[in-house]
Amino acid sequence: MGFFVTTLIFVAIGVIASLCARICCNRGPSANLLHLTLIITATVCCWLMWAIVYIAQMKPLIVPILSEE
Amino acid sequence: MAERRGGGGCCPPMDLMRSEPMQLVQLIIPAESAHLTIDYLGELGLVQFKDLNAEKSPFQRTYATQIRRCGEMARKLRFFRDQISRAGLSLPTGSVSEAVLNLDDLEIKLGELEAELVEINANSEKLQRSYNELVEYKLVLQKAGEFFQSAQRSAEAQQREYASSQSAEESLETPLLADQETVTDPSKQVKLGSISGLVPREKSMAFERIIFRATRGNVFLRQAVVEELVTDPLSGEKVEKNVFVVFFSGERAKNKILKICEAFGANRYPFNEDLSKQAQAITEVSGRLLELKTTIDAGLVHRGNLLQSIGEQFEQWNLLVRREKSIYHTLNMLSFDVTKKCLVAEGWSPIFATKQIQDALQRATYDSNSQVGAIFRVLHTREAPPTYFRTNKVTSAFQEIVDAYGVAKYQEANPGVFTIVTFPFLFAVMFGDWGHGICLLVTTLFLIIRERKYSSEKLGDIMEMTFGGRYVILLMSLFSIYTGLIYNEFFSLPFELFGRSAYACRDASCSEATTVGLIKARDTYPFGVDPAWHGTRSELPFLNSLKMKMSILIGVAQMNLGIILSFCNALFFRNSINVWCQFVPEMIFLNGLFGYLSILIIIKWWTGSQADLYHVMIYMFLGPTDDLGENQLFPGQKTTQIVLVLLALISVPWMLIPKPFLLKLEHDRHHGHSYAPLQDTEESLLVETNQDSHGHGEFEFSEIFVHQLIHTIEFVLGAVSNTASYLRLWALSLAHSELSSVFYEKVLLLAWGFNNVIILIVGIIVFIFATVGVLLVMETLSAFLHALRLHWVEFQNKFYEGDGYKFHPFSFALLNDEED
Repeated sequence: MGFFVTTLIFVAIGVIASLCARICCNRGPSANLLHLTLIITATVCCWLMWAIVYIAQMKPLIVPILSEE
Repeated sequence: MAERRGGGGCCPPMDLMRSEPMQLVQLIIPAESAHLTIDYLGELGLVQFKDLNAEKSPFQRTYATQIRRCGEMARKLRFFRDQISRAGLSLPTGSVSEAVLNLDDLEIKLGELEAELVEINANSEKLQRSYNELVEYKLVLQKAGEFFQSAQRSAEAQQREYASSQSAEESLETPLLADQETVTDPSKQVKLGSISGLVPREKSMAFERIIFRATRGNVFLRQAVVEELVTDPLSGEKVEKNVFVVFFSGERAKNKILKICEAFGANRYPFNEDLSKQAQAITEVSGRLLELKTTIDAGLVHRGNLLQSIGEQFEQWNLLVRREKSIYHTLNMLSFDVTKKCLVAEGWSPIFATKQIQDALQRATYDSNSQVGAIFRVLHTREAPPTYFRTNKVTSAFQEIVDAYGVAKYQEANPGVFTIVTFPFLFAVMFGDWGHGICLLVTTLFLIIRERKYSSEKLGDIMEMTFGGRYVILLMSLFSIYTGLIYNEFFSLPFELFGRSAYACRDASCSEATTVGLIKARDTYPFGVDPAWHGTRSELPFLNSLKMKMSILIGVAQMNLGIILSFCNALFFRNSINVWCQFVPEMIFLNGLFGYLSILIIIKWWTGSQADLYHVMIYMFLGPTDDLGENQLFPGQKTTQIVLVLLALISVPWMLIPKPFLLKLEHDRHHGHSYAPLQDTEESLLVETNQDSHGHGEFEFSEIFVHQLIHTIEFVLGAVSNTASYLRLWALSLAHSELSSVFYEKVLLLAWGFNNVIILIVGIIVFIFATVGVLLVMETLSAFLHALRLHWVEFQNKFYEGDGYKFHPFSFALLNDEED
């Protein structure tokens, strides 16, 4: 799975979560906007964390060197 | 990427983003319906009354007497509660809804009950005292009776012996004197007096000694130990006591002994030497004891019943008294109008509550049969309204995190919105271990499931805090599980959950694995850190570089979000100066330096370049025109860097200079239009409250300039130091993973290595305690504090003024929390 596919998965999860929030707890436009903001923020945070770790490992400058036992 | 986060916040209204719009309202209430009106408003709980009598002392106010009455009633209720808890009864917590008394009836009832209770208490105390006295008396009778009997027996024996010796040896050797003595004995017999009573045991030795000394030995004292504890009639305490009998001769000795008895707290009781009278006294005392006992028991039952009936209604009365007291306190804040027929109230209320307040006023007018209705009108003011966020049980804990730093200025963008996600997220970056995350999750789920039970109970300080933050901890643990999966750590152990490791041996024999290392043979591990890194020699260099860069990326993203929020604020308050002279140069400065660094980091990872980023960043300033050489990451890098440095240099004076001048210009223009028609108040209210500080009073140019200078310096230096401050994310997550791996390897694996069950058990226990104590409690606290700091300082100083004041409505619902 490449970078973009997984990113799309994150986007999909975010969209699904927002839809769920919209359907399950629909409490007026301003509350929905808050829920949407929270979900987007959470998704972006999670994606950011994953993306950083993934990109950092794509072209490693150092490789694992096993310790002698 | 992260910049998108700020998106929706500015224009369409969002819960929590801005505090509720408030209005200053004036209520003119007819005096006869004032009490009921305030009662209904307290029920509603959406008005914060202003004190219109601030210059009056509490005693001068209109309703001082009523407050005193309420205070008196509260005192009586405290007395009842005290009595109830002393009687060992518990107050029923469930509120019983019976016919609601009015205050006057309640006052009378409380007075009666108190008088009754006091009388019962006094009586039962009196009875108890005489009962204790009788018990002591009985003891004296018993013990002293024993003395006399034994004394009599020995005296008889002596007499017999004496008589027998006399009859046997009546000879010449019999001394004359002795004969004489026996002869004269009956006629000259001195009547010995006796005093008997009880003395506390610890004083008995001293008592004996003093009596002996005072009478120069002309006394005969006997003591007997009372085995069980005796209740002292005076103090009501249980003490160890001795029964004593003193024999003496003469009036002076008697007086002395009486005084000594008094000094030692020895209770004296009459004692008759006659045996038959003693027996009679004992039966009499026993009879009276029995009688008293039944009386006392009946009294206690009566008292218990009384307290029980008080206890049933206690909560209701207590609530009523507190409500009344708070109503009168509020009434005291209102001022009388000139005719003395109306009360005038001023206060803040959210605009959405207008309808509810008007309803409450109408109901109060109707229910109190008042002829005139209360008048509700909105006042226009330049005063800053209070800040009021409508939170629920989830968001309130996060809002408190923000409020602990400073309450938001009225209608300012609320960092609480983003704190709900970013706070647990930053915590989790430092606390990434899904094993520990699951432990936290279980704990907090336990708290949430038992929420209803705990919220009605009184908890300890620490428990209270944990319980209050249960939803914060819930999100913290969920994010910890996520970051733990990213870090691939479960109690420091990696798992191949998401596919196979990307690394493999270079050849079949795997001979170079410990020298040159493995080689990347497959696709990158799809989710999180590759498990192959765990325990390798190059693990730390790799993770350090990764986590350090990650900290900077996350930090730059969050600081950008902060600056974007300042843009939202400027838009909201229609402050174009802040947009062009603060937001734009700040954005350019931060992103010209650290945004560029972030992009370099990503390019370096993406291309696998060996460029030295420190070198690039340093020589971007020291020698922007130098040749980059192997540090070239993308074409045109040199030009880009020169442009960025120039932009950053320009943005500093841009931040500093134009704003004060523009403000001065605006101020002068305002002054020129002194006689211009007033602006439409409705529309300008928001703008004016915001510009209060500038539009009002003296315009001190130097002050504004110095303020702007400080702001600029703070921002420029802060951009560097705040970015560095985000490295704490790296430091703490490193510390956490190292500590957990130490506990795993040095405790659990070591204990396992001994092949001994006992050592293994000890090892497991030590491991559990270390994990819970150090990792779950202390590390949680420290990561929490660091996340707190990152939000308060690094995030909020980009946009948050935090100089507002909180909305404190007059509400009965809040009464309970306040008083206890």
